[in-house]
Amino acid sequence: MKPSSVKYDFEPKIIAFVCTWCTYAGADLAGTSRMQYPSNVRVLKFPCTGRIDPVFILKAFQQGADGVLVSGCHPGDCHYIAGNFHARRRFAAFRKLLEFIGVDLNRLQFSWVSAAEGGKWVEVVTDLTERVREMGPMVEFKELALEEQWSGAINTPELKETYNAI
Amino acid sequence: MNSQLIDTSIYADISRFIRDESLRILLEGEVIAVVGYAAGRRKGSVQPIIACDTESAGRLMFSQASVNNLAVYLTKAKKEIPKSGKIGIVLKGCDLKALVGLIGESQLKREDLYLIGVPCSGVLASTVHPATELATETIAPKCLECDAHLPTGCDFVPDVALPPQQKSDLKYAVEIARLEALTPAERWAYWKEQFSKCIKCYACRQVCPFCFCEQCLCDRNKPQMVETTPRPAGNTAWHIVRAMHLAGRCAGCAECERVCPMDIPLNLLNRKMAKELKELFDYEPGFEVNDKGPLASFTDKDDQSFIK
Repeated sequence: MKPSSVKYDFEPKIIAFVCTWCTYAGADLAGTSRMQYPSNVRVLKFPCTGRIDPVFILKAFQQGADGVLVSGCHPGDCHYIAGNFHARRRFAAFRKLLEFIGVDLNRLQFSWVSAAEGGKWVEVVTDLTERVREMGPMVEFKELALEEQWSGAINTPELKETYNAI
Repeated sequence: MNSQLIDTSIYADISRFIRDESLRILLEGEVIAVVGYAAGRRKGSVQPIIACDTESAGRLMFSQASVNNLAVYLTKAKKEIPKSGKIGIVLKGCDLKALVGLIGESQLKREDLYLIGVPCSGVLASTVHPATELATETIAPKCLECDAHLPTGCDFVPDVALPPQQKSDLKYAVEIARLEALTPAERWAYWKEQFSKCIKCYACRQVCPFCFCEQCLCDRNKPQMVETTPRPAGNTAWHIVRAMHLAGRCAGCAECERVCPMDIPLNLLNRKMAKELKELFDYEPGFEVNDKGPLASFTDKDDQSFIK
């Protein structure tokens, strides 16, 4: 049975930020090897994981992503020598920040996938997609974006009282 | 908890030492200006001044209302300071940590500065009532968790004996532990409420010594990474980006929190990141100049247990 023939109520949107030298080539290998993986993943190609700014992840969630995958070369394999080492520290700190803000870290996956690891790419993408599918849609950031609460909102009893008194 | 008064008797002596030393370095031509504190117009209030002559140097002082982190005046974003010549600056321990961070980021040169360190028992949390006495109720929470009451590595430190510090509740540590114990959904609700108060006045950015970028990422609109309107989505993004950009750099002076007109606990995020970076990379802001901060450097043994 092909995976695509199964119908689900909810198809998560997964954004994958990948480095062009390893993971993108790995995903390419998965494709040319005719491996099946969920079509929920949208791949965005970057020169290096070191180029991937935490603000991109934020933006992805705001724009409706249900899960985010960041993937690049294994440590020591970086095309730019040290980009992934920097990224590793940055994302270690960033996920702690997101956790503290209240984002469920199960929606965020980091991985090292080399150009030869088409199978690992399929595995990582399938795992993340199935996990996020079970969690349901990511609503927190989307709700924020829809909210029209400007700072002038009269949302406390004191403010309301003062406003009515005018 | 009963409020206990905190001994600030040394501040009179410190004021005298600061005046004498500033007059000396100005008269001898060692510096062209001293950035320090002077009495404001309201009783007990203090304002930052740039003393370029003996008259204004005679007004320099230090008290529990000397809350400002003066290091911010030396950054690129502020244009008040003369461009040529050596500058003297009055610094508390927390301010010195920020200045050291700026030197580490090549924003300042140590040889262009004459540092006057202040042995500090603490400052007020708020200067709404500047004549308030310093007590465990009114002291800034950062001062209760301070490990830098006595600055080191300065050119001049007044020779006064620092009274023993009073132990009290650690507000930040307790609050961080409280939030960490909540579920993600509860934490999200907490921060959503806090961030919804934000009016995007950017006072936190203006007052931060480390926000010296000439063009802030959050002001750009091509591409616009962070919505600029004071709506929940943009507010949340701004505060997350702010916390991330200060991670591993913030010296914990808590000026952001003091200036916030909407009383958002901004420093909580910075403290949390400092705590995490201490655990992850064993880094703490201090008095030693580091060329590379924790997020600008790496080792090949960094934790990668979260990466598949």
